[in-house]
Amino acid sequence: MSTEKRPVILDCDPGIDDAVAILLAARAPELDLRAVTAVAGNVDLEHTSRNARRVLTLAGVEAPVCAGAAGPLFGPTVTAGEVHGADGLLGLPVPEPAFPLSPEPAWDALYREARAWDGALEVVATGPLTNLGVALAKYADLPRYLRRIVLMGGATAFGNTTPAAEFNIYADPEAAGMVFRSGIPVVMCGLDVTHRAYLTHADIDRVEALGTPQARFAADTMRCGVAQHERFLVPGAPMHDPCAMLYALEPALFTTLRCWVGVECHGTITRGRTVTDAYSDAKREPNTELVTDVDREPFVDALTARLAVYSG
Amino acid sequence: MNKPIPVFLDGDPGHDDAMAWMLAQASPLLDIRGVSSVCGNQTIEKTTWNARQVMTLLGIRAPLAQGRQGPLAAGPMPAPGIHGESGLDGPALPEPAVETVDLPACELMARVLAESPEPVTLVPTGPLTNVAALLLAHPELKSRIAGISLMGGGVTRGNWTPAAEFNILVDPEAAGLVFRSGVPITMAGLDVTEQALVLPEDFARIRALGNPVAEVVAGWLEFFYGFHRSIGYAGAPVHDAVAVAALIAPELFQMEEMYVAVETAGDYCRGTTVGDRYHLTGRAPNARVLLGLDRAGFVQLLTDAVASYGEGTA
Repeated sequence: MSTEKRPVILDCDPGIDDAVAILLAARAPELDLRAVTAVAGNVDLEHTSRNARRVLTLAGVEAPVCAGAAGPLFGPTVTAGEVHGADGLLGLPVPEPAFPLSPEPAWDALYREARAWDGALEVVATGPLTNLGVALAKYADLPRYLRRIVLMGGATAFGNTTPAAEFNIYADPEAAGMVFRSGIPVVMCGLDVTHRAYLTHADIDRVEALGTPQARFAADTMRCGVAQHERFLVPGAPMHDPCAMLYALEPALFTTLRCWVGVECHGTITRGRTVTDAYSDAKREPNTELVTDVDREPFVDALTARLAVYSG
Repeated sequence: MNKPIPVFLDGDPGHDDAMAWMLAQASPLLDIRGVSSVCGNQTIEKTTWNARQVMTLLGIRAPLAQGRQGPLAAGPMPAPGIHGESGLDGPALPEPAVETVDLPACELMARVLAESPEPVTLVPTGPLTNVAALLLAHPELKSRIAGISLMGGGVTRGNWTPAAEFNILVDPEAAGLVFRSGVPITMAGLDVTEQALVLPEDFARIRALGNPVAEVVAGWLEFFYGFHRSIGYAGAPVHDAVAVAALIAPELFQMEEMYVAVETAGDYCRGTTVGDRYHLTGRAPNARVLLGLDRAGFVQLLTDAVASYGEGTA
């Protein structure tokens, strides 16, 4: 019964790892995927809003897809086409969208659903946080209607885009700062955990052996992820965005720490850094559930099992 | 045995600076050629007084110079909550029998570097003000510096702010200059020094050694632990002693080479040491960053050093 499912909006920039997060969400029995909202990030908005529909079409699920921001609130646009390919999905064979884009802007959909669910809606955000930034700018009372935001972004130590900053936060630091200051409960899955949530080649073989088009697509994206992450000293393909979705679904797989997180929006070399008070003596008032670790093998099992639903 | 490594100690004693100097003076592998005080944990007057007392206690006979009044481009930031009003509260210390030379710290460093036949290793355990002043005033002596083994920063964490460690935060401009200097750096930051815990049971073992230095070191550890216990530490993190231990017992440490830069601006990040662990900037590494240590081995090193100050009378 759909009324017993948890309402969720996935805000993303697909993106190969966003695509896997979409596959996990689309048929998760405990979720009611109210909408997928797209933002410019890994590639431009035209591609991310199209890719969201292509991956949902691959999943056989028609959920509303709303386009949001075509670039960050302030500052230059940053993309990651070298990781995701010019089309954002590495040129992999993914069906064309079977349904059109919703006419509703992402932030209006976020607010409308949040109001409609009266505090029960949660957002899983796996791209730059621009859409939420606009929603917070437009709707001052949004925080009181959101249950939480589970986001993939940031790092307490080493960034992957600059030495100080992770891509999603670096791409829109001001929006990220608004989210962390909003008072909405935030769960942060940063590189600290996503680099530990990796699939080895043997794990990817298991995904591929599921044999469905969805699993083969996921496995193909993961194969590329392995090579891309050697420089980050990860012995496999880290599941950046799926980590946030799996936290929303199975939090028991993860270890967390409550602490303060702020986003550096200035600085000469630290713009986009998530400054976390996990370990300092400053002990600022916590605003975030920081995900610090994952039980990797059960995580891989859970991810594989959730992709196996496409065999049924 | 190899010839000892000539070193110049620059610190703001400070309990952990004092223990770093205790370790250096005890080691036959090091030859202390000079000492300078720096404004950090306390005012320059207090850290200089403390340096004179500590050198007297330990029998360090190298020349001592007083450092700058404060950071290069910022105001002082004393830390009485950690080290007390004197900057070295706790056990009573001898009246100083050591006088300062009539030279600024950077000029004593320059003299030691110029007069030494071999390049000298600098061991700064406070803000990098004096070292930066040396590099600014005497660029020609850079090649006389064998390396800099420093306590400061952290590539994974801060302490004074969520992003920044105290020594770097006090004088980020100086720190940036030092990291850009091209002099090989060994960085004992919070990544490793927060693991360099001396536990309460270790205090008792040290006190039981029974010589006058042992009594004082045990008292320093107890005082220093007081603050840290109140914020949840299991022991006293003897940060500064790690910069000396890295020179005399490198086998105790895990380290990675990376490019480290210092943020001097920002809303939250002033004083942050940013480590390019994944080689994103294309810059060649400028520092060996200590990331882990054998804690038991480190504590044994400290304990053996204390024991070398004499047979117990207790």
